[in-house]
Formats: sequence, C-alpha cells, structure tokens
Amino acid sequence: MEKVLNVLRQRQQQFGLLKWAERLRLLLVGREADKGLLFRIFIYIVLIETAYLYLNPILYMISNMVKGLDDLLDPTVNWIPKAIYWGHLKEAWELLNYPSSFGVSFGLSIGASLFQLVACAMAGYAFARVQFPFKRFWFACLIFTFVIPPQVTVLPLIIMYREVGWIDTYFPMLVPALFGHGLKGALYVIIYRQFFSILPKELEEAAKIDGASLYRVFFKVMLPIATPAIVVVFLFSFVWNWNDSYFPMMFLFKMQDVPLSIALVKATGDLTTEEGRLFAQSIDMAKSFLAVMPPLVLYLFTQRWFVEGVERTGLVE
Amino acid sequence: MNGWIRMKNRMSQRYEGIFLILPWIIGFLLFVSFPLLYSLYMSFHNVRITGTGILHEYVGTKYYNNILFQDGGVFYDQLLPFLRQVLFMIPIIVIFSFMISIMLNQKFLGRGLFRAVFFLPVIFSSGNVIERFLSQGRGQLGFLEQFSISTALTQYLPASWSTPIVSVLNSFVLILWYSGVQILLFLAGRQTISASVYEAARIDGANPWEMFWKITLPAMMPFVLLNTIYTVVDLFTFPGNPIIASVNPTQYGPTSALIWVYFLIILLFMGLVMLLLGRAVRVTTQTR
Repeated sequence: MEKVLNVLRQRQQQFGLLKWAERLRLLLVGREADKGLLFRIFIYIVLIETAYLYLNPILYMISNMVKGLDDLLDPTVNWIPKAIYWGHLKEAWELLNYPSSFGVSFGLSIGASLFQLVACAMAGYAFARVQFPFKRFWFACLIFTFVIPPQVTVLPLIIMYREVGWIDTYFPMLVPALFGHGLKGALYVIIYRQFFSILPKELEEAAKIDGASLYRVFFKVMLPIATPAIVVVFLFSFVWNWNDSYFPMMFLFKMQDVPLSIALVKATGDLTTEEGRLFAQSIDMAKSFLAVMPPLVLYLFTQRWFVEGVERTGLVE
Repeated sequence: MNGWIRMKNRMSQRYEGIFLILPWIIGFLLFVSFPLLYSLYMSFHNVRITGTGILHEYVGTKYYNNILFQDGGVFYDQLLPFLRQVLFMIPIIVIFSFMISIMLNQKFLGRGLFRAVFFLPVIFSSGNVIERFLSQGRGQLGFLEQFSISTALTQYLPASWSTPIVSVLNSFVLILWYSGVQILLFLAGRQTISASVYEAARIDGANPWEMFWKITLPAMMPFVLLNTIYTVVDLFTFPGNPIIASVNPTQYGPTSALIWVYFLIILLFMGLVMLLLGRAVRVTTQTR
C-alpha cells in the first residue's frame, strides 16, 4: 500500500514538473513559434537595431545643427549640446534663400503630384478595367517606361524643350505629369491599375445600368473610392518630386528661383575662415534639416492613412 | 436585335475607353518613345547645336567603338566594378526588406511606431540629404572594424571580388536606407494573403516554419520579382553611379552612345532577373 502511494506521489511530482516545463516552454516558444517570448525578443532586437540605424543620422543631424562653438569644441559633448544655438539654422536659411526656394519646391511638388494623381489614375483605370485597341501592346509600353532610366531620354528632352522654349521654365517638370508621365509616373499607373483591378465589378455595372457614361463612372464612382491608392500615390509623388534634383538640374540652367533640392547642392558656406570650416558641418546639417522638414511634416500628418493605404492597395501583383 | 445592341455597346465602350487612355498614350509618344528613338539616332551622329539649328553628321558606330574597344576607361574601370557591387546589393536589399516586412506584419506592442520609423527611408533616401549623412561617416557598421573583416576578405579573395564586397559592407547602412520602398511593397503584398489560409494550415497541424516556406514565400514570389526589378531600376539610377554622373548636355553624340550601352546592360540584367525569378514564380504558383 505504502509503495503504491509512493509511486503515485512520485508520478504526480514528475507530472507537476512536466507541467512546469510545459508552461515554461509555452511562455518562451509559444503554442506556435511566432507567438512565444523568444521570438518576440528576437523581433524586437532586430527591429530596434535597424530603427536605430535609421534614426541615428537623423538624430545626429538635429543634434549637430544646434551645437554652438563651445559645444563643437568640447570633446565631452557628444549627442546633447549644453546650449541650443540657432545661428546655423539662421545661416542655412539665408544660404538656401529659404522662402523663395521653399515656394518653388512646394509649388512644383504640389502641382506635379496633383497632375500625376489624376492622370495616372485615368491611365491605371483604363489598364485595369476598360477595353481599348492594342491594350497588351500599350501595357508592354507601360512596363518599358517603368524600366527606362530617366538618363536615357534626358538629352533629347533638353533639345526638345529648347526648341519649344521651355528651358529655364517650370514646364518640363509639370507638363509630363499632366499626361501621366513625369517622375516615376509609370509606377503610379501600375499602383492604380492594381488597386482598380481588385475592386468589385458590381459597382461600375450598377452605375452603367443607371446610364452613366464611362467618365461619370470614373470620376464620380471609382475615383472617390480610390482614396487609399490616392494617398499612397500622392505621398510618393510629392516626396519624390520634392527631393528630385536631377530634372531641375538638367532643365533649369540659369534660373534664379531654384527648388530646394538644387539650392541644397549649390549653396556652400564660407570655408575660408577658421570658424567657417568649423561650422561647415553644422550648417550642412541645418541645410539638410530645412530641406527635408516639409515632406517629413507632411508624412507625420498623413502617416496613418498612408500605412492603411499601402495595406489596402495591395499595390502590384 | 439584341446582338446588335450588344455590339454597339461594345463598340462605344471601345471608343470611350480610348479617351481615358489617350492622354497617357500621347504622353508616351511625346516624352518617352520620341526621346528614346532620338537618343538612339544621336548616338550614331555628331550633334552640334548652332545658332540656326541642330546639325547632325553621321559618324557610324564610332562612339560605340570608342567606348567598348578603343578608350574603354569609363566602361571597364568604372562601370564593371559598379555592376559587381550592384550584384551584391540586390539580394541583400531584397532579402532584408522581405525579413523586415514579415516582422512588421506580426502583431506586437509598438508596431505602429516601428512602421512609422521604417517608412522614413522613403523620404530621406531619394534626395541629396542621404549623401550628406554618408559623407559624415554615418554609413558604417561598428563591428566591421572591430573584427577587421575587410582585411580578412582582401586576404582570402581575389581583389576584383573583395573590393566590391568590402565596399558593400562599408555602405551597409546605405543599403538599408535604400530598402524603404521595397519594405512597403512587401508589406502591401503580405496583405494579399488571406488569414484563412493560415487558419486552415494551422488546423492541419503545420508549424510556423512550414507555413512560412509553404504559404508565405510562394505567395510572395511575384512581389520578390517586382521588388528585384524595382531595386535594379533604383540602383542603376543611383546618384553615385559613374555613368549617370557623366550625362550632361555638352557632348550629345558620345554621351548618348554611352547611355545606350548602359541601357542595354540594364535590359540584359532585367531579362536575367525575369528569367530566373519568373521561373520560380511560375513553379511556386503551380505547386500552390
């Protein structure tokens, strides 16, 4: 009797131990491997590490921008300056001719991105849902356009624009966008095409039965429900047009009012004095900060819709 | 009668559709195909711009000859090393962004915050700002110097391969910066796999490891193809690229020839990628 009880007790103890081990295993590895603590920790380590790599230069930029002479010379000051110095920002503001270049950049980016927003949507919708002659051929052309580097066509474009007198005007940045081309236009057409092709067909059919024309269907039914795609395209287009310095550099030779991306390259501080050399880096950082601030602010405000939009467009097949 | 109406409808639909696509087609002819053909034409001609007009003088394949055989400096000394570097960067960018997007797709605390951070590269990497960061020495990884990996590589590999590898490692952070759009594309692609597939697999007793290889990866193959193409396009129009830097409106003929050689290399690259990955896409979608 005693023996039997002993065996039973032992077994219970073993069982209890097993249960604990099982519980620990569940905690660490989880019922499925992607739910456990170990996996969580792994994800956090990788993501925090990479996020740090992304944030490091940005933080460095901001910290260096507000360092005064004392902080720059002080070896104990690494990240956080002892006093905030606004001189660099002020100087960068003047070097960049900020109000004017900001205005040019803003006008160009908003204009081009709004044009692309509508024109690429039309083309994308046509590729997704509408029949037209030689559709497969034109689709191949679309893919081809996506692949061509802008450098292949830039020289003939310069000659072409010179012939029509568009050099040193803003037309070369705006008119192609109006036709659904321009900077990375093909990518936006592809994004829209993908979005429209996964929408249910019933919507358009209902509108067509009610007698609406294709244009009414597009502008009144399809475009309004394309908000996720619109947000994605608008933000991409705005940011890329804002940052682009290649086309403005090629098409604006002797223009006074240049966009920020050009001003950033052109404007250099005074490097002849000791102080100027010492400050050069800080002023550079201040300039970068001023140049990148507007799209960053725009992104902060639209980020919610943007993330959602990316998830819902399914982008490209 | 009914058939006639249907035909008429179809016809009007055809013509209606044309007006939606027409602006794009006009734009394509004006801003893409015409410049493309013209640049091909220019690469065989000596182009001079005078006060009265543009003069074209036929020179045959002289410029191509120059670039490829006689004066191959730009081509062999600058372009080929760059291509080797690109060869390393493409898989790193694609695999890295794939991993990150899979992780960002998990449910965990602070996901929104991380996602916001991982979209930052899109804003920063397309402009001149990124070059400023790199010139401040912000593009290096600490452990490379610590374990003197670059010296080990140069010892054990021939110089023609170790140099691009070392420069890739040195600009690793830059590579991470250039994967912003790819992360977005993968994240969007991941949303197209419905949760019910995973549910079914779970009920059948598949573990996450199997699910990744049998469900996630095959379904993501088209996106891998797309991202590889995007990365190739992106890297080949990289500002630091030796060929891109030499395109300026001084010598129209020779530059056009150079850019066409370059363009054909890109197309070759693209074709190779499509061939390799396209087959993989087909195989995986068949087994699914």
